[in-house]
Amino acid sequence: MSRRLSTTLEIEGGEIRCRKCARALGPGGAPWKQNAAMTEIPMRGAAGVPYSGGERVVLRRFACPGCGALLDSETALPEDPFLDDVLFD
Amino acid sequence: MDPITFSIIRHRLFRIVDEAVITLKHVSGSAITNEGHDLMVSLYRADGSLLMGGVGFLHHLTSAAEACKATIRRFGDDIDEGDVFLLNDPYTAALHTSDIYLVAPIHYRGELVAWSACFVHVYDIGATNPGGFCPDAPDIFTEGFSSPGIRLVSGGRVNQDVMDTMLNMVRSPEMVALDMSSMIACNNVARERMLALIGKYGHETVDEACRTLIAQSEELLRERLRELPNGSWQSRQYIDVKGEVFKVNLTMTKRDDRLIFDFSGSSPQAPYAINCTKWASLGGLFAPLFPLLCFDITWNEGVVRPIEMIAPEGSIVNCTRPAPVSVATVGAIQSVNNAACAAIGKMLDASDKYASEATAVWHANHFAVFMFGRNQHGGEAIGILTETFAGSGGARNFADGIDVGGEIPNPISRMANVETLETIFPLRYLFRRRMKDSGGPGRYRGGAGMEIGLTPHDSPDGGLHYVVSGKGADFPMSEGLAGGYPGAPNSYIWVKNNEAEADPRNTDAGFGQAVDDLPGDQERVSWGVFPLMGEDVLYVRWNGGGGYGDPLDREPDTVLEDCRTGAVSRETAENVYGVVIDESMSAFDPAATEARRKALAAARIPAEAAE
Repeated sequence: MSRRLSTTLEIEGGEIRCRKCARALGPGGAPWKQNAAMTEIPMRGAAGVPYSGGERVVLRRFACPGCGALLDSETALPEDPFLDDVLFD
Repeated sequence: MDPITFSIIRHRLFRIVDEAVITLKHVSGSAITNEGHDLMVSLYRADGSLLMGGVGFLHHLTSAAEACKATIRRFGDDIDEGDVFLLNDPYTAALHTSDIYLVAPIHYRGELVAWSACFVHVYDIGATNPGGFCPDAPDIFTEGFSSPGIRLVSGGRVNQDVMDTMLNMVRSPEMVALDMSSMIACNNVARERMLALIGKYGHETVDEACRTLIAQSEELLRERLRELPNGSWQSRQYIDVKGEVFKVNLTMTKRDDRLIFDFSGSSPQAPYAINCTKWASLGGLFAPLFPLLCFDITWNEGVVRPIEMIAPEGSIVNCTRPAPVSVATVGAIQSVNNAACAAIGKMLDASDKYASEATAVWHANHFAVFMFGRNQHGGEAIGILTETFAGSGGARNFADGIDVGGEIPNPISRMANVETLETIFPLRYLFRRRMKDSGGPGRYRGGAGMEIGLTPHDSPDGGLHYVVSGKGADFPMSEGLAGGYPGAPNSYIWVKNNEAEADPRNTDAGFGQAVDDLPGDQERVSWGVFPLMGEDVLYVRWNGGGGYGDPLDREPDTVLEDCRTGAVSRETAENVYGVVIDESMSAFDPAATEARRKALAAARIPAEAAE
């Protein structure tokens, strides 16, 4: 019986998994982003001319290391920690 | 109680608030109220707790409850039939001094049985800057008239000495007087209709219905919370002031039927007026909570009870007197409601049952440009560019965000017509239109924001000035959901035309249709007071809503349609959505699109992660 974590992730067999390819991303009930494929791109120009903000601002993209599906994204300064979302048992 | 009678009374309470809102709008003379709907009306129980939350800016629903309670504490037994009290001190209950609460007791046969409360952002409050937003105010003392509670009306008669004292401290007193009249009229209508309801059904029956309504809301919200998964969700919002960065950090935890919003780790209070008080933060988190979690539950005290807030004292979300707060509504308060919206969205997205209620963040950065100066009619004009209320919708898991779709915290927000604003201010709009590529990419795209260009026109003084404040233009704030990108950030550009004949760049701005086509030097601005004179142009672009899901999952046909309608550029279609479209935008190339999408997905996986 799987539990939904988000549109892109679920907990199946005690593991957080990509809903597209079932790739495991760590134990359910724990942060998963450190197990994802993370690319950090400058927010400036990230999606067209209006993305014209500060030079240091980045867009973090957390993708499935198995299939490349985009699982989550967040706006950040490089030194700031990941935003963690956790489902309790 | 009899369910039919209960239902009738419940709906009558809704209608009382609706009619009071209509009254407020019709009596007020300022565009921010009757065009932008920067207002709120609600009903409260005899003890000041929320009975029936109305529309308008929802962060006021709980703050006005505190205003009623503060009035009860201050005036005790000295609260009489027909009184109206004014309160606008942010350290007592209000959000900032410009948002004045008028709270009015409702007596039935000599007994205090309820309160009505309303607010408008008054035309002026006598602060250092016209309109009340004071980016460089060092403290609350420079942010205008401020009262922790004063009796404006006694037994149905306006205390003219009190009214005149206040009007003596503000610019354009005739407009502020009209604001006051609109709120008195609004409270009068609420009182009359409430008394008519009690007269028809009896006090005991109405009182029982009100108690039942609150108990029902509490039970329904607790039941909903029990249906949602237990967990914790984090969100973060940035504020930029002149290169200094401030953060609002939120960890939202849901266990059983309780929901805790913990803002620990947020920045210490700032030397700038972006701070907010704890009542403002509480209102800020409820603004998205009411519509997102209580879309079918009456907004009242019952909804408040299962919610807890932790806001460290001395932080940007619970500042201590005399920290300045005049920019709070477009500063930390909006950051709080963005952070709450993002966390609630993630919690809903974790539920099979409620995922369709989840949303990426809507219009997250009010730009609050207040214009001021003499207008073409010889009068003094002060007012906000109501476009700040036009907003942009966040995407959901079944649909795009609505272009220029308003905002979550105010279900009735809107902007005035160009012609209305050109009548009020000596300005000419060069353009006002939807902004390409401003909505956050995603499987479902965030709603687009807009861009406007303004130049002085027919001004007796050659132009006017404006105050710009808020949260800066460095950070996107309308966060995406489930991989969706955030909406684009705001941008403010002052195009300075030196009007020197020798400078070939300087020609009449005419009706230039793009910021880069306008003559003059461009300077990015985001904080302070600036002139708009002669042939200068003020260019403002505001954020789009956040996207939902992976942009590579968006239907190519839909991306093509986005390009045709000007919502998305061909470059973004190819580089972010992975859809390759021909130059004439007649079709996309299926094979090239498939290859491009594969390449973009592969590029997301660094070599070490792929192993």
